[in-house]
Amino acid sequence: MFIINCPYCGERDHQEFKAGGEAHIERPKQPTELSDDEWAEYLFMRKNIKGVQFERWNHAHGCRKWFNMVRDTSNDQIILTYKMGEKPPAQ
Amino acid sequence: MLNYNSPINKEIKYNDISIKEFSPIMKLNLRGKKREFFTTVGKHLDMILPTEANTSSSSSKLTSIWLSPDEWMVISNEIAKKDTNKYDVEESLYNDISKNNLGAVIDVTDHFVMLELEGKNIYELFASGSPFNFNEFKEKKGSTTQTLLNNIDVIIQNKRKNLVNLFVRRSFSEHLYSWINDSASRL
Repeated sequence: MFIINCPYCGERDHQEFKAGGEAHIERPKQPTELSDDEWAEYLFMRKNIKGVQFERWNHAHGCRKWFNMVRDTSNDQIILTYKMGEKPPAQ
Repeated sequence: MLNYNSPINKEIKYNDISIKEFSPIMKLNLRGKKREFFTTVGKHLDMILPTEANTSSSSSKLTSIWLSPDEWMVISNEIAKKDTNKYDVEESLYNDISKNNLGAVIDVTDHFVMLELEGKNIYELFASGSPFNFNEFKEKKGSTTQTLLNNIDVIIQNKRKNLVNLFVRRSFSEHLYSWINDSASRL
């Protein structure tokens, strides 16, 4: 059991949350101009790094809001959570 | 409320804990972000929606519960008439908010079941099935939370010391009620 700090509700148990994959992936402005490989790169390919990663999470059993999280995937340490639309901290 | 058929038909009473259903209670779900939304709701309900997380505010007739930064549940403090499912507040809010695109007003009266839990042992009961830390919650009158109880989504509002309202979706209510009955008997 570990605690996640929802930017809206405060500290809650991780059972109330759902992970939503990598954060800050920008949708291409002109998808029709992309090749199939470039579109697949945007759509499917994720970094999945070992170390500090920027992720999207959803407080599914609470306020149901999406937010961003900076998490070290090697030891599950949550470094920071911040609201959607806020700028990510310098990497 | 029409064709009301509750699976919960009796009050549970054990040592220092009692649970019963209150129905029908008017329940409205309000969603909105605009400034006009807040002023219109304030005018109709005669109260300001709570903007602080995990809190609620009450007037003589209504209580509004914070659900998320742009979502609230408004409930009636008293039992409504059983022979109708139309409420004046809902109608006036719907006309001024939903029709003017200021936000959304949805009647969730039949969607949620409201249980009232009373007694010294209610937090012992919650601790046996919820990951939420109730230490601060139980000290603060009017505090609310949305969390899991026996893996079921619930909304809990602290009405006063050792007295809470619990809202659960109707389809889960029978299962949760039987779990509460079982767990309360072991406290």
